[in-house]
Amino acid sequence: MELVKRTTTILLCLLLIPITAIVTASVKQRFADGPNRVFSGGPLRSGELHRGSEPDWSFVENVSTIELQLLEPPQSRRIWTAELHGKLYVWSSYMDTTVGRLWKRWPVQAERDGRAILRIDGKRYERQLVRIKSGEILDDISNAIRSKYNSRTTRTTVEAGDDWVFEAAPRN
Amino acid sequence: MKRFYLCIAVTLIATVVAVAFVPGVDDLVEQMFQRYLGRAAR
Repeated sequence: MELVKRTTTILLCLLLIPITAIVTASVKQRFADGPNRVFSGGPLRSGELHRGSEPDWSFVENVSTIELQLLEPPQSRRIWTAELHGKLYVWSSYMDTTVGRLWKRWPVQAERDGRAILRIDGKRYERQLVRIKSGEILDDISNAIRSKYNSRTTRTTVEAGDDWVFEAAPRN
Repeated sequence: MKRFYLCIAVTLIATVVAVAFVPGVDDLVEQMFQRYLGRAAR
Protein backbone atom coordinates (compact mmCIF):
# COMPACT_ATOMS: atom_id res chain seq x y z
CA MET A 1 0.00 0.00 0.00
CA GLU A 2 2.84 2.32 0.91
CA LEU A 3 4.52 1.56 -2.41
CA VAL A 4 1.38 2.43 -4.38
CA LYS A 5 0.98 5.67 -2.46
CA ARG A 6 4.59 6.61 -3.02
CA THR A 7 4.48 5.74 -6.73
CA THR A 8 1.32 7.80 -7.20
CA THR A 9 2.91 10.76 -5.42
CA ILE A 10 6.00 10.55 -7.61
CA LEU A 11 3.94 10.32 -10.80
CA LEU A 12 1.78 13.28 -9.78
CA CYS A 13 4.87 15.32 -8.96
CA LEU A 14 6.41 14.47 -12.34
CA LEU A 15 3.14 15.36 -14.07
CA LEU A 16 3.36 18.78 -12.47
CA ILE A 17 6.38 19.61 -14.66
CA PRO A 18 4.60 19.60 -18.06
CA ILE A 19 1.50 21.15 -16.49
CA THR A 20 3.63 23.99 -15.12
CA ALA A 21 5.25 24.47 -18.52
CA ILE A 22 1.86 24.62 -20.26
CA VAL A 23 0.31 26.99 -17.71
CA THR A 24 3.35 29.29 -17.83
CA ALA A 25 3.35 29.40 -21.64
CA SER A 26 -0.40 30.03 -21.64
CA VAL A 27 -0.17 32.88 -19.13
CA LYS A 28 2.79 34.41 -20.97
CA GLN A 29 0.82 34.41 -24.23
CA ARG A 30 -2.07 36.28 -22.60
CA PHE A 31 0.20 39.33 -22.30
CA ALA A 32 1.41 39.15 -25.90
CA ASP A 33 0.14 41.18 -28.84
CA GLY A 34 -1.84 38.36 -30.41
CA PRO A 35 -1.82 34.58 -30.29
CA ASN A 36 0.91 32.16 -31.25
CA ARG A 37 -0.48 28.66 -31.85
CA VAL A 38 -3.24 27.36 -29.57
CA PHE A 39 -2.99 29.60 -26.52
CA SER A 40 -5.09 32.73 -26.54
CA GLY A 41 -3.14 35.93 -26.89
CA GLY A 42 -3.83 39.40 -25.63
CA PRO A 43 -5.62 42.14 -27.58
CA LEU A 44 -4.39 42.85 -31.11
CA ARG A 45 -2.60 46.16 -30.61
CA SER A 46 -0.22 46.56 -33.52
CA GLY A 47 -1.10 46.94 -37.17
CA GLU A 48 -2.86 49.61 -39.18
CA LEU A 49 -6.64 49.69 -38.67
CA HIS A 50 -8.51 49.39 -41.96
CA ARG A 51 -10.79 52.33 -42.76
CA GLY A 52 -13.02 52.88 -45.74
CA SER A 53 -14.74 50.57 -48.17
CA GLU A 54 -15.14 46.83 -47.85
CA PRO A 55 -11.88 45.09 -48.81
CA ASP A 56 -11.61 42.54 -51.59
CA TRP A 57 -11.29 39.46 -49.39
CA SER A 58 -10.10 37.23 -52.22
CA PHE A 59 -6.54 37.78 -50.97
CA VAL A 60 -7.20 35.49 -47.98
CA GLU A 61 -7.02 32.57 -50.40
CA ASN A 62 -3.26 32.80 -49.91
CA VAL A 63 -3.45 33.32 -46.13
CA SER A 64 -3.45 30.12 -44.09
CA THR A 65 -4.42 31.56 -40.70
CA ILE A 66 -5.61 34.89 -39.34
CA GLU A 67 -5.73 36.38 -35.86
CA LEU A 68 -9.15 36.93 -34.33
CA GLN A 69 -9.86 39.00 -31.24
CA LEU A 70 -13.23 39.45 -29.64
CA LEU A 71 -13.92 42.72 -27.89
CA GLU A 72 -15.45 40.81 -25.00
CA PRO A 73 -13.38 39.10 -23.69
CA PRO A 74 -10.39 40.90 -25.26
CA GLN A 75 -8.42 37.78 -26.12
CA SER A 76 -7.12 36.65 -29.48
CA ARG A 77 -6.59 33.33 -31.18
CA ARG A 78 -5.34 32.00 -34.50
CA ILE A 79 -7.99 30.55 -36.80
CA TRP A 80 -8.66 29.44 -40.35
CA THR A 81 -10.59 31.60 -42.78
CA ALA A 82 -12.15 31.40 -46.22
CA GLU A 83 -13.67 33.83 -48.66
CA LEU A 84 -16.80 33.22 -50.72
CA HIS A 85 -18.56 35.64 -53.04
CA GLY A 86 -16.84 38.66 -51.48
CA LYS A 87 -17.65 37.64 -47.90
CA LEU A 88 -15.28 36.43 -45.23
CA TYR A 89 -15.98 33.38 -43.07
CA VAL A 90 -14.40 31.90 -39.95
CA TRP A 91 -15.34 28.71 -38.16
CA SER A 92 -14.56 26.39 -35.33
CA SER A 93 -14.52 22.61 -35.45
CA TYR A 94 -14.62 20.01 -32.67
CA MET A 95 -17.62 21.80 -31.11
CA ASP A 96 -19.28 18.43 -30.53
CA THR A 97 -16.52 17.10 -28.27
CA THR A 98 -15.94 17.92 -24.62
CA VAL A 99 -12.28 18.77 -25.22
CA GLY A 100 -13.28 20.91 -28.18
CA ARG A 101 -15.84 22.84 -26.15
CA LEU A 102 -13.29 23.43 -23.39
CA TRP A 103 -10.57 24.37 -25.87
CA LYS A 104 -12.65 26.57 -28.13
CA ARG A 105 -14.69 28.94 -26.07
CA TRP A 106 -14.55 31.82 -28.51
CA PRO A 107 -17.47 30.62 -30.68
CA VAL A 108 -19.82 30.71 -27.67
CA GLN A 109 -18.43 34.11 -26.68
CA ALA A 110 -18.77 35.35 -30.27
CA GLU A 111 -22.38 34.26 -30.41
CA ARG A 112 -22.99 36.37 -27.29
CA ASP A 113 -21.10 39.41 -28.54
CA GLY A 114 -19.87 39.21 -32.11
CA ARG A 115 -17.79 42.38 -32.16
CA ALA A 116 -14.35 41.34 -33.31
CA ILE A 117 -11.05 42.53 -34.70
CA LEU A 118 -9.25 40.48 -37.32
CA ARG A 119 -5.58 40.92 -38.08
CA ILE A 120 -4.59 39.68 -41.49
CA ASP A 121 -1.09 40.18 -42.85
CA GLY A 122 -0.47 42.74 -40.12
CA LYS A 123 -3.56 44.85 -40.88
CA ARG A 124 -6.52 45.02 -38.50
CA TYR A 125 -10.18 44.92 -39.53
CA GLU A 126 -13.20 45.64 -37.33
CA ARG A 127 -15.88 43.03 -37.95
CA GLN A 128 -19.09 41.60 -36.57
CA LEU A 129 -19.25 37.82 -36.30
CA VAL A 130 -22.65 36.48 -37.29
CA ARG A 131 -23.25 32.76 -36.82
CA ILE A 132 -24.75 30.81 -39.72
CA LYS A 133 -26.57 27.77 -38.41
CA SER A 134 -28.40 26.51 -41.47
CA GLY A 135 -29.22 27.15 -45.10
CA GLU A 136 -28.04 26.35 -48.59
CA ILE A 137 -25.20 28.84 -48.31
CA LEU A 138 -23.49 26.33 -46.00
CA ASP A 139 -22.97 23.99 -48.97
CA ASP A 140 -20.94 26.66 -50.75
CA ILE A 141 -19.09 27.73 -47.59
CA SER A 142 -18.21 24.12 -46.77
CA ASN A 143 -16.92 23.61 -50.30
CA ALA A 144 -14.79 26.73 -49.97
CA ILE A 145 -13.42 25.48 -46.64
CA ARG A 146 -12.64 21.99 -47.94
CA SER A 147 -11.01 23.31 -51.10
CA LYS A 148 -8.64 25.41 -49.01
CA TYR A 149 -8.01 23.14 -46.01
CA ASN A 150 -7.97 19.47 -45.15
CA SER A 151 -11.30 19.74 -43.38
CA ARG A 152 -14.35 17.52 -42.82
CA THR A 153 -16.72 20.48 -42.58
CA THR A 154 -19.97 19.96 -44.45
CA ARG A 155 -23.40 21.55 -44.32
CA THR A 156 -24.54 18.55 -42.26
CA THR A 157 -21.80 18.95 -39.62
CA VAL A 158 -22.53 22.66 -39.33
CA GLU A 159 -26.28 22.16 -39.01
CA ALA A 160 -25.63 19.44 -36.43
CA GLY A 161 -23.58 21.91 -34.39
CA ASP A 162 -20.29 20.02 -34.80
CA ASP A 163 -18.77 22.96 -36.65
CA TRP A 164 -19.73 26.56 -35.96
CA VAL A 165 -19.49 28.93 -38.93
CA PHE A 166 -19.52 32.71 -38.70
CA GLU A 167 -19.61 35.40 -41.32
CA ALA A 168 -17.15 38.14 -40.47
CA ALA A 169 -19.53 40.87 -41.56
CA PRO A 170 -18.85 44.62 -41.60
CA ARG A 171 -19.43 46.26 -38.24
CA ASN A 172 -21.98 49.07 -38.31
CA MET B 1 11.34 11.69 -0.28
CA LYS B 2 12.45 15.06 1.02
CA ARG B 3 15.17 15.26 -1.58
CA PHE B 4 12.72 14.27 -4.28
CA TYR B 5 10.29 17.03 -3.32
CA LEU B 6 13.14 19.53 -3.29
CA CYS B 7 14.26 18.34 -6.68
CA ILE B 8 10.70 18.69 -8.06
CA ALA B 9 10.40 22.20 -6.56
CA VAL B 10 13.66 23.29 -8.19
CA THR B 11 12.59 21.72 -11.51
CA LEU B 12 9.26 23.54 -11.40
CA ILE B 13 10.94 26.89 -10.77
CA ALA B 14 13.45 26.19 -13.56
CA THR B 15 10.55 25.28 -15.86
CA VAL B 16 8.72 28.54 -15.14
CA VAL B 17 11.89 30.59 -15.68
CA ALA B 18 12.79 28.73 -18.89
CA VAL B 19 9.31 29.03 -20.42
CA ALA B 20 8.93 32.65 -19.37
CA PHE B 21 12.34 33.98 -20.32
CA VAL B 22 14.26 31.66 -22.67
CA PRO B 23 13.34 32.49 -26.28
CA GLY B 24 11.67 29.64 -28.13
CA VAL B 25 10.86 27.47 -25.10
CA ASP B 26 7.29 28.77 -24.83
CA ASP B 27 6.76 28.04 -28.52
CA LEU B 28 8.12 24.52 -28.09
CA VAL B 29 5.74 23.89 -25.18
CA GLU B 30 2.82 25.24 -27.18
CA GLN B 31 3.76 23.11 -30.19
CA MET B 32 3.78 19.92 -28.08
CA PHE B 33 0.51 20.90 -26.40
CA GLN B 34 -1.06 21.58 -29.78
CA ARG B 35 -0.24 18.05 -30.93
CA TYR B 36 -1.77 16.55 -27.79
CA LEU B 37 -4.83 18.79 -27.99
CA GLY B 38 -5.43 18.00 -31.66
CA ARG B 39 -5.46 14.27 -30.91
CA ALA B 40 -7.61 14.63 -27.80
CA ALA B 41 -10.23 16.77 -29.52
CA ARG B 42 -10.87 14.22 -32.29
